[in-house]
Amino acid sequence: MFSFFEHSKKTSKNYSPEPLPKTIKSSLSDNLALLKQKTGKSPDIIIRSLKIGNQPKVKAAVVYVSGIVDTQTINEFLIEVLINYKEKPGNEAGQELIEKIAEEVVSVGSIKTETEWSSLFESLLSGNALIFIDGAAKALTAGTKGGEKRAIQEPSTQSTVRGSREGFTESMETNMAMVRRIIKNPNLWIESIKIGNQTRTDVSIMYINGSAESAVIEEVKKRLKKIKIDSILESGYIEQLIEDQTMSPFPTLYYTERPDIVAGNLLEGRVAVFINGTPFTLLAPAVFVQFFQASDDYYTRFDIATATRFLRAFIFLISLLGPATFVAAITYHHEMIPTTLLIVIAAQRESVPFPAIFEALIMEVTFEILREAGLRLPKAIGSTVSIVGGLVVGQAAVQAGIVSPTMLIIVAITAIASFATPSFAVAISARLLRFAFMICAASLGFYGIMLALFMMVAHLCSLRSFGIPYMAPFAPFMPGNLGDTLVRIPWWSMKKKTQLMNHKNIQESKNKKSQSLKT
Amino acid sequence: MKHKRSFFAFILISLTVVSGCWDKREMNELAFVSAFAVDLNEEGKYVGTFQIINPGNVAGGLQGGGGQNASITVYSAAGDNLLETEGHVSMKVSRDLYYAHTNLIIISEKVASEKGITELFDLFERAREFRTTTNVVLTRNSSAEEMLSVLTEKDKIPAEQIVNNLKGAEESQGEYQKITIDNVINSLITSGNEPLISAFSIKGEPKKGTKMENIQASQPEVRMEPNGLGVFKNGKLIDWLEGETARGTLWATDKVQATSLNITWKNKKDAIAYQVVRQKTKIAAQLKKDRPKISISVRAEGRIAEVSVSSDLTNPHTLAAIEKEVAKEIKEEIEKAIYHAQINKSDTFGFGDAIHRSHPDKWKKIKSEWNNEYFPSSDIEVKVEAFIRRTGLRTNSYLSDLEQ
Repeated sequence: MFSFFEHSKKTSKNYSPEPLPKTIKSSLSDNLALLKQKTGKSPDIIIRSLKIGNQPKVKAAVVYVSGIVDTQTINEFLIEVLINYKEKPGNEAGQELIEKIAEEVVSVGSIKTETEWSSLFESLLSGNALIFIDGAAKALTAGTKGGEKRAIQEPSTQSTVRGSREGFTESMETNMAMVRRIIKNPNLWIESIKIGNQTRTDVSIMYINGSAESAVIEEVKKRLKKIKIDSILESGYIEQLIEDQTMSPFPTLYYTERPDIVAGNLLEGRVAVFINGTPFTLLAPAVFVQFFQASDDYYTRFDIATATRFLRAFIFLISLLGPATFVAAITYHHEMIPTTLLIVIAAQRESVPFPAIFEALIMEVTFEILREAGLRLPKAIGSTVSIVGGLVVGQAAVQAGIVSPTMLIIVAITAIASFATPSFAVAISARLLRFAFMICAASLGFYGIMLALFMMVAHLCSLRSFGIPYMAPFAPFMPGNLGDTLVRIPWWSMKKKTQLMNHKNIQESKNKKSQSLKT
Repeated sequence: MKHKRSFFAFILISLTVVSGCWDKREMNELAFVSAFAVDLNEEGKYVGTFQIINPGNVAGGLQGGGGQNASITVYSAAGDNLLETEGHVSMKVSRDLYYAHTNLIIISEKVASEKGITELFDLFERAREFRTTTNVVLTRNSSAEEMLSVLTEKDKIPAEQIVNNLKGAEESQGEYQKITIDNVINSLITSGNEPLISAFSIKGEPKKGTKMENIQASQPEVRMEPNGLGVFKNGKLIDWLEGETARGTLWATDKVQATSLNITWKNKKDAIAYQVVRQKTKIAAQLKKDRPKISISVRAEGRIAEVSVSSDLTNPHTLAAIEKEVAKEIKEEIEKAIYHAQINKSDTFGFGDAIHRSHPDKWKKIKSEWNNEYFPSSDIEVKVEAFIRRTGLRTNSYLSDLEQ
């Protein structure tokens, strides 16, 4: 991956050896020739030449990229109307004719006059149609964005029992529209920039003016503007480029596929970053407890919601510490296990040839292999893998006496627990840290686990997401904001929205590493 | 800065890698000692016996283990002190002896009566693996080694069966008490209090009890049963308490959890069985002209459990009369026990301790002569109140209908 970046950096230097001429010429053939030359005569760049007006007929051309435009709009509202335009152009020809066409003829929603090649190219490549008229040193861009898109479907990563079934799609416009449909408020503001020297990906930030802390908005904008990269293929690129701390297993930005989550977070004063081409939208700033909250919590009654949140915290602890605790207990702390249980475990371990930590590592790694294989395989083969995994690895390993049944149970519970964490982002951090905890447990027992836990908590407390302490509202302790953390108090008692965005808390990012990557 | 950080990381990693794992013990390297017994051989040396669990034969499960082979193995060796016996045994065992799950210490009658138990417990308190909550029992009419070798049918680990037996006896009979290492040490160091340790004896031929055939029978020929309470004086076993004397002693020391006693009613012996549900005993001590005066007040609550003569249990006066009878019965038991202890000249009740608390200054003078002089001659007053809280599912017995 690293060499890939270096490679692409080199090509970016060689990109467009001849600089573009700044403005277009008045000769149509010159303009079209330049277009063809710059696009390498790619077959999907369609140049439709036509003649408009009556005596003399004026040469004109409609240029668009097939596939990313709405062909029907181009046919009916551009080409058809232009061909049918039979007015006398008069002697003014080019310059004024183009104004007239824009104002009186073409019937598409957005139309603009441009003179610069760079903006014309950008417009063309993002799905607009260009209209050139011979003799005019201007061109029209008509909004004809379209083409095939995925329909709105139920989100696959954050499904809920109760709640909206809509999920984001790859189209940024659709996604932002979905949020607009929820928050009908003129203060919902959107700002858009393009990132990526080559991909020119549309990135928009969305926030509620007045609700979001301006310092956070400025910080998000500043960090987005600082990005210097050739390509943005997914929101993960943006996340890694603008996050506060690269050297951390914990995510400091929240991503979601659900419009209702984005809307809820915008109302809490967060900033959403939409990236064209991915259904995953980023939310900043993120706090740790947020990753244990699901949209279901807000839709079900508060007692159930609170109970499930506690369950999730417990699940996270299991997925983090499960095997580590077991390994520590059976290699160091035999006195802590009740005698009867100890004898059962000891009986199972009589014939196991490996030390407990090695046994645990074997099973954990096997599970990770199965999981990775299940993820990549075609769905039809997936079930085969689970059978092989469940039977062969589980039962056969126990019968062969390589692992003990108790260890299998522990690993299985841990595996299930890691799937039950609502946010995949934090589930995979636990997955990674689990191994560190296991090694600490194997070398120092419970003492080692406690050491590692202290280090983890200290690290969590040191993290910041766009100036907001990651562990807020626990550290720093903000008693007023505890209503929507591990507990969710009833809606009527939530007097004000949780205000994590405290002006005093916002600090500059100290992460020099991620910034040096950007420049 | 960068160097500092990597140096710190290096230190951290080497800390775990170099120092780590030194204490690591895999389970299949350990021999779990379930019980430890002390005997005395002919030369007067200690003989330590270790009951070691064979986990594979205890736990059932996948391997199909259990049942076929003995769930324990017993090793024993002699030595000048307890640690030495351990040293000699560990040579015979292929694994490290592990004591954190030792649940029982058996002291043979011979050790208790000849050498005394005073010097025994230091190791158990000092060694880090031993728990001071380990139960202590005595053997009666057999050696401790024999007792440890008897296999049991219900609990596969014999030590556990002994402890559970004792617990059951304590909770239902009121004639035994479970005592742990820290309790024993406590009563040894408290002047004016002597320990009471329950004893077990083997019924049947001890050798047969070590065979699996014994526990495969529906009526095992060899069994272990609780049998009396050992009375100590100056750390040495001097007498056994049994039956009512034992219970009376425990009444007076507030140790009875539940028991049942029978009273004579309408001239019929043992006509009504009274079951104690809870009881509370208070001891007050005074010194009057250097003569100790102890008053014991017992408050017992319970229910009527069995009736074999017809009587009107719906009548509060009848119940009050029964209560009086019960109180009288309890009082007799306690007085009997105290009389017995006064003859033995061993204060197993902790009366001396009560005097110590009420008259700390005078206690110093009488302390040394307490057991031999003051305790046997002290005035003891016993007050018992008994209450019937309920009569079970019936009020009057069907026997009353029979009579009419």
